[in-house]
Amino acid sequence: MEDNHRKKKNAAEPGVTRRHFLTGTGLGAVGLATGVPAVEGDTKTDSAVVIEAGQTVPVTLQINGVRKRLLVEPRWSLAYVLREQLVMTGTKLGCDRGECGACTVLVDDVPRYSCMTLTLEAEDSKITTLEGLLDGEELGDVQRAFAEKDAFQCGYCTPGQVMAVEGLLRSNPDPSIEEIRTGVSGNLCRCGTYPNIFKAAHLAADMKRGRGGGS
Amino acid sequence: MTEARYYERGPIPETPEPKQRQDHWTATKVVGQALPRVDAYQRLSGAAIYPSDVNLPEMLYGAVLRCPHAHAKVQSLDTTAAEQMPGVRAILTAESPGTDIPWQPESEGPASVLFDSVCRFEGEAVAAVAAATPYQAHDALRTIRVVYDVLPAVSNPQAALEPGAPKVHPDGNSSGEPSTYERGDVNAGFDAADAVVEETFAVPFLLHTPLEPHGCVARWEGDKLTLWESTQGVYNVQSQTAAALDLPLSHVRVIGHYVGGGFGSKLAIGKYTLIAALLAKQTAKPVKVFLSREETLLCVGNRPGGTMRLKAGAKRDGSLTALEFEALGSGGAYSPYGTGLFDWQIRDLYNCSNVRTKGQSAYINAGEERPMRAPGHPQGSWALEQILDALAEKLGLDPLELRLRNLTTVSQARGGIPYTSTGFKECLEEGARAFGWAAARARPAADGALVRGVGMGGCTWIAGAGGPPSTAIVKYFADGSVNLNMGASDIGTGTKTVMAMVVAEELGVPLERIQIEHADTGTTEFATASGGSKTVPTESPAVRAAALDCKEQLLVMAAADLETPVGDLQLHEGEVFSSRDSSKRMAVKEISQFQRRRTVVGIGYRGPNPEGKATCPFAAQFCEVEVDKLTGEVRVLRFLGAHDSGRVMSRLTYDNQVYGGIVMGIGFGLMERRVLDEKQTGKMVNRNWHDYKIPTAMDVPAAIESLPIEIQDLECNTTGAKGLGEPVTIPTAAAIANAVYHATGVRVTEAPINPTRLLELLAAHDQRRA
Amino acid sequence: MLPNFAYIRARTKQEALNNLGSEGAHVHAGGTDILGCARAEVFEVEKIVSISRLEELRGITRSSDGSLRIGALTTISEIAQSPLVQESYPGLAQAAGDVASPQLRNQGTLGGNLCQRPRCWYFRGDFHCAKKGGDLCYAVEGENRYHAILGGDPCYIVHPSDTAPMLVALGAEIHISGAAGSRSMPLQDFFVLPDQDLSRENLLEPGEIVTEVLLPGASGIKSSYRKIRERGAWDFALVSVALAVRMNGSTIAEARLVLGGVAPVPWRAEAAERALIGKQPSPSVAADAAAAAVAGAQPLEQNAYKVLLAKGAILESLLAL
Ligand SMILES: Cc1cc2nc3c(=O)[nH]c(=O)nc-3n(C[C@H](O)[C@H](O)[C@H](O)COP(=O)(O)OP(=O)(O)OC[C@H]3O[C@@H](n4cnc5c(N)ncnc54)[C@H](O)[C@@H]3O)c2cc1C
Ligand code: FES
Ligand code: FES
Repeated sequence: MEDNHRKKKNAAEPGVTRRHFLTGTGLGAVGLATGVPAVEGDTKTDSAVVIEAGQTVPVTLQINGVRKRLLVEPRWSLAYVLREQLVMTGTKLGCDRGECGACTVLVDDVPRYSCMTLTLEAEDSKITTLEGLLDGEELGDVQRAFAEKDAFQCGYCTPGQVMAVEGLLRSNPDPSIEEIRTGVSGNLCRCGTYPNIFKAAHLAADMKRGRGGGS
Repeated sequence: MTEARYYERGPIPETPEPKQRQDHWTATKVVGQALPRVDAYQRLSGAAIYPSDVNLPEMLYGAVLRCPHAHAKVQSLDTTAAEQMPGVRAILTAESPGTDIPWQPESEGPASVLFDSVCRFEGEAVAAVAAATPYQAHDALRTIRVVYDVLPAVSNPQAALEPGAPKVHPDGNSSGEPSTYERGDVNAGFDAADAVVEETFAVPFLLHTPLEPHGCVARWEGDKLTLWESTQGVYNVQSQTAAALDLPLSHVRVIGHYVGGGFGSKLAIGKYTLIAALLAKQTAKPVKVFLSREETLLCVGNRPGGTMRLKAGAKRDGSLTALEFEALGSGGAYSPYGTGLFDWQIRDLYNCSNVRTKGQSAYINAGEERPMRAPGHPQGSWALEQILDALAEKLGLDPLELRLRNLTTVSQARGGIPYTSTGFKECLEEGARAFGWAAARARPAADGALVRGVGMGGCTWIAGAGGPPSTAIVKYFADGSVNLNMGASDIGTGTKTVMAMVVAEELGVPLERIQIEHADTGTTEFATASGGSKTVPTESPAVRAAALDCKEQLLVMAAADLETPVGDLQLHEGEVFSSRDSSKRMAVKEISQFQRRRTVVGIGYRGPNPEGKATCPFAAQFCEVEVDKLTGEVRVLRFLGAHDSGRVMSRLTYDNQVYGGIVMGIGFGLMERRVLDEKQTGKMVNRNWHDYKIPTAMDVPAAIESLPIEIQDLECNTTGAKGLGEPVTIPTAAAIANAVYHATGVRVTEAPINPTRLLELLAAHDQRRA
Repeated sequence: MLPNFAYIRARTKQEALNNLGSEGAHVHAGGTDILGCARAEVFEVEKIVSISRLEELRGITRSSDGSLRIGALTTISEIAQSPLVQESYPGLAQAAGDVASPQLRNQGTLGGNLCQRPRCWYFRGDFHCAKKGGDLCYAVEGENRYHAILGGDPCYIVHPSDTAPMLVALGAEIHISGAAGSRSMPLQDFFVLPDQDLSRENLLEPGEIVTEVLLPGASGIKSSYRKIRERGAWDFALVSVALAVRMNGSTIAEARLVLGGVAPVPWRAEAAERALIGKQPSPSVAADAAAAAVAGAQPLEQNAYKVLLAKGAILESLLAL
């Protein structure tokens, strides 16, 4: 089977075969955030960066402050790449269609669904996942608050909830209960732990502002 | 139908009786505290590996081709194109060797096979593929050409029983004789009544939708199979897989350390389990098969919906004279349990001598039911708690008062045997007090568009006693750390935390020093699946016995060193001391025999439940709603759950269950329903989380209160715990419906209650009044 | 899982336009809708043309004449949180804030919100319905509780966007660029009913992109958006009411009332507007307007509640003036 498929239209050719091969930083054209100067191929304004279906291209992702280089297909979602390619399974996948929030990560500090984000679209952005909230091996503030307030049951929605709260607190350090509810309203919890998530978000806000840290 | 059907498949082994003497706890030091979970770090840091997170070297991804029709026969199936697709490593169809596997041969429903040529519901498995990436697996599925002979389909139980209805099975659509129950003389009971009310109720089919989809990773090493399955019970998966693949139990290892929710839908294996195993065998590579969200909505279980007619009679003083209940439901295409336990509340909860119930189930072209959090109970409760309110109104009684006048201390449905304990009265009374029921009920109605009302409901749960078998092993190591080994899964209810607290209680070791091995058939003891609200009452006595076994051994060894009778010795925080002679004390570490052995191993078993008695949890829930009469919007403002589940073993996880059950009940009450395209294709139109709506953070009140009614049950088992996970969701929706009635005067008999239904009812109500 | 497609990252608007136009080529702004459609195979997506990095299409700016320009790539969150919008067009801030969920608002863009494909479960599901070139609008005989009560025939989708009805009520203008140049039109005229063109919901031609939306100055305009849904977040409107009025003392001088969730396009209720203009807001005036708004409604079997709901929501919006 393996050998025949290459002849097919949509065959996945190994390596990089896009029209404008750019060295350095993956798609490179806007590769500023990676700190590596963009090296453009030919810069005719009428020709964009094109990657054919099924082809893989190298990208550099900045995840939790670490640069990771890997090959991706255009259709690979960030959730898929995190979970199955990089085996960073703190990010969960509940629906793969923007309807549950389990895959929530921060993209440039803003919560987003990684299942609805093409990996190529996340290039040059700062990606933060659950693992990135750890302080060494210790839980970060929001994670600790979730532990203290028992803000989870099965724990499968939890990474997404934690990231939603983290994102909320980064933009709004002192949210009201209504702001908290809205802030996590894009994260389903079938175990129904919402009341504790609200409490945990409050506590995390307090912790982050350096008031207390206890209950 | 037995209680056990709801959490077990296959025979349940026995365990010996425990040999330890276990006095009832009077005061506890650890048990009952509000302590963070023992696995909080794992679950919050990302260190916990859920089955869907498992990633093995050279792992392939499997995907299942599913029938897109509600009813169809597979005429032909062509995989030639798929075989040529990039990354494809294996394809399974009905033609593939080894796929002729009976599906659920132990079930009482009709027979089927893994890839049945007749697809009786949308989403039935037709073929499967393994490929290098999940994208490639799905690409390959898209190229498989199937010619279906599309057959007429039937989507609801009424239609299914009509003459000339399309036949789901050759023998027709009836799932057998209706199940019936009768006690006393119902006709006489109604004759004796001063007031009689009767109403027809309807509830939709609901879906479990745990956050982690169903699936597993399968890996073979020679003829030994290891499965990482998202399951509530690893031993169920082991026995079912071994039977299906004709393997010795010893050769099937199932690991399910974490599971992202199940709610009853992960008690048994799925076809995906066998498909993963077969694909892994064929490719000699590990294979991961996790279903898409859409698939999980189609084919891994649902909570049966249906219609219910309930008639109730009572004397002027409120005492019930008769209850008559009739239900029609469906377990889908294969399960005969379409109305299973719908009638349990009616039979057992309120004192009534004359009760008749009947449940009729029909096969329809839809996915099979699976137990969902308190099977049958929320449906029956929807009818019962509403009819009681209607009866109370007719009698001029407060709804709470009516319930208080119909209390019982015996299980009427079990022939009148006493409960080991019932705190139902306290749930009602103390719940009402804490909620401020009387004042809220007495509040005059508002006259604007925004109106408020309060409602309540009570419940019992058939199971929740737990029982044998269960074996636990506690190892006490030389450094004072402890290893607990048990088979049970922690489905999020906090099983691990509760059991660690039990060990800590008996052995005086801090929780951080306790390590738990669980949910792995290769390394842990047999346990029944976690479900039925029975995990804590089942496992905690066994764990306690194992800890006590350890303790006894340590004390015997210490007695030799201290030259003192073992009966005088106590163990606390790593120290053994005599209660009579304070000079007789030593650190556990220093016990000479223990120093030589380095480990003490305690084994504990779950003893039997008391004979001739029933153990059940009880609850009352109260809520306040606000209805916008112009738009039909219903907002739940606050909720209180007063639960008698025996001893509160762990306060945080206890309260969390109460919140979670109420949240799920709000979903049932206000928004959830499976929608099939009944009049046309029979296909499900809302098979995603956007159209099948479950509650978000915006739909639940921040003010949910958990009020434990901690009744000391000295008989039920040695920890005094009863189940909690299901009663928490039984009366919730009915309480909301009662509150909506209180607010608006409109009784919504069909769930869910939202603008799509309520507005027209409000308009009709206004017209009647005008 | 997403099927295979080619990916093109446009570095300039021109690059985007050059790569659109072929069949199966689709704009990707935030991607929240197009990727969902691709995954569900609602239509063929062969080529994704990502415009997400075209900074020129981003941002909210006020001109000296008081009008507001919102770039097509501005996220829904940015609109909801913009002080400029909150101050002058509170109804729009409300509508944007009611869209989907926080994460989708952070990612979804205004252009995408206006151009998103309908949410009819037959269209989105695997039903070969009329809109997809089949013979049947399944909603007519089928499960139609969420479908159109106005302007439906021969396809009963409702327009999914929350921002669209509000923008129409505010008199927005949409700007479009194509290979042949740019054009603009009142947003109201952008949307098309199924009897005009069954296959699409607006006048965007293949190869064109929306570049911005222009709002006239709002001095003296009161605006509000009221959305009714089955659950509190992440849910499209059963019915929504976008209202923009200019008061002259205590009488209504100008009024625009646009309904969402009831028709295949944002539904301008002109009869209701007429019933309001020149009147002082009162319960009876509001009731007349509400009745006028749904006078021509033709509900299907399961959606008669929408008539009541639209009336109730209009009443509420007007009484809140
Ligand atoms: C679960 C869910 C719930 C939702 N709930 C709501 C809701 O309640 N209310 C609501 O209003 N919306 C809702 N949405 C829709 C959401 O708001 C839209 O998906 C989003 O606004 C689209 O923006 P985008 O930038 O991601 O669009 P994309 O997915 O990038 O594009 C959407 C469509 O518009 C086209 N397009 C995008 N930008 C342009 C442009 N500049 N020029 C021409 N064509 C363009 C694309 O080709 C595509 O066809 C929901 C979506 C989901 C997934
Ligand atoms: S997995 Fe991304 S939103 Fe559900
Ligand atoms: S904790 Fe289980 S879904 Fe949220």
